Amino acid sequence: MDFSLSEEQEMLKTMARDFLEKECPESLVREMERDDKGYSPELWRKIADLGWLGLIYPEKYGGTGGNILDLVVLYEEMGRAMLPSPHLSTVVLCGLAILTAGSDEQKADLLPKIVDGDLILHWP
Amino acid sequence: MDFTFTQEQLQLRKEIHDFYMNELPEVFSGYVTPLSEELQSFWMGLQKKAGERGYLTPGWPKEYGGLGLGSIAQGIVNEEEGTWHIRWPNAIGLRLAGPATLLFGSEEQKSKFIPPMARGEVVWFECFTEPDAGSDESNIQTRAVKDGDDYILNGQKIYITGAYKPDFLYTLARTADSTPKHRGLSLFIFPADTPGVTIRPLPCMGGYTANEIFFDNVRVSKECLVGEENRGFYYAMGTFEYERSNTAGAAAAKRELQEFVQFCKVEKRNGKPLIEDPQVRRALAKMAVEVEVWRLAAWRTAWRFGERERLGPLDYDLTGFFTKRFGTSHPKLMMDILGLYGQLRQGSKWAKLAGCIERKWQGARSLHAAGTIEIYKIVLAGRGLGLPRVPVKLNTLIMQALEESK
Repeated sequence: MDFSLSEEQEMLKTMARDFLEKECPESLVREMERDDKGYSPELWRKIADLGWLGLIYPEKYGGTGGNILDLVVLYEEMGRAMLPSPHLSTVVLCGLAILTAGSDEQKADLLPKIVDGDLILHWP
Repeated sequence: MDFTFTQEQLQLRKEIHDFYMNELPEVFSGYVTPLSEELQSFWMGLQKKAGERGYLTPGWPKEYGGLGLGSIAQGIVNEEEGTWHIRWPNAIGLRLAGPATLLFGSEEQKSKFIPPMARGEVVWFECFTEPDAGSDESNIQTRAVKDGDDYILNGQKIYITGAYKPDFLYTLARTADSTPKHRGLSLFIFPADTPGVTIRPLPCMGGYTANEIFFDNVRVSKECLVGEENRGFYYAMGTFEYERSNTAGAAAAKRELQEFVQFCKVEKRNGKPLIEDPQVRRALAKMAVEVEVWRLAAWRTAWRFGERERLGPLDYDLTGFFTKRFGTSHPKLMMDILGLYGQLRQGSKWAKLAGCIERKWQGARSLHAAGTIEIYKIVLAGRGLGLPRVPVKLNTLIMQALEESK
């Protein structure tokens, strides 16, 4: 029984908070409400560079092999900043479905593209 | 973050689970009240038996009769006690006063008082509440006046929980007329048979027993003082923290709910099992969610107790808040589902579940002990959220305003 976050998770949390406070101010959130895309491609690119898109995928697909709890830490911070992004549909809903049930070809093809930020998926 | 138990902890749980399974009578209801003499000696015997095996206080340090297994092991034990509706004669000592004495007591006090408690041999009462000092603990009027190497106590305590004859009294008394009031209280532990102590049982509705206790020139030595003089209020608050970290309440609620769900599967209304009624299903699902939330909050508090010793207000008050909230709302929902049958008591041949829901519903009235839910909200708002204090005389102000508006 342990309700604490690991050192890495604490670091992720601090890093995510600092990053989002700087990159995702309220003005951006409001702007994105009226935006056609609904998210900022520049910010998406930065998020990909930080490794947030590959957090829960195995290393062979370009991810860092984290677990769901790592993702929860990140999501708390994304929620706190009200980050407008297609992270949930791309990485979690579609990405995890591909990782769980996709063929080897599908995984090898799609997951690295998600991790790199080149593929945005939508769960209709 | 890890919500699982170690192999050692699982083993301990199994051992204790099996112990209670074997020791408790086959047809057993923890709701049986009032405590007959026979039942009293049964519980006293079981307390000693559990104590001999170290099952009462495995979390306590080894040198004081525990097994040195820490707060998670203690949480497991408390959970099992809740699950089995165990009612230790010395519940107050084992779960509140004892751990607090370990924290605040002198070395002599710890080695004198704690091992017999771990062995299950003694019963303690917590003598805090007074006719004019309930939730406002700082208003205690019982006096302890220094006399040479002794203190002499005079005053009255009321609603002191316990159906057994106590061996020791864990008592809060005023040693100074201080401002603020709470800085003039001191905590004492002394034998209940000290001359001048009178204990008068107060049988309560629902079969519980509380007591009135009178101190008439009770002379206790200065070795009975816990910690420093005039610091008693802080030790008392520390004592209550243990009450709020207990995992037993949520565990008891969980078992009761499981039994109730089972009952709803079998019991029919208008020719159909209760669980086919959408209202019943919704109520059961609601309770299941709440019990889990309550349980997690209790475990988080138990865990933090082991890690930090002292807790932030949002930690322990959450568990206490849920105890008050769900401890009242769940029996109500169960009463609603039972309909008129719910009002029948144990002993009636038409009573359902041996009348235990009726008793739970009555028992929920006594959940104000250790502070009403309103008190909890005030504490959460003040200490948890940092909101300004409510003026003490708010009631008076409201009354004045009402008068003026007439």
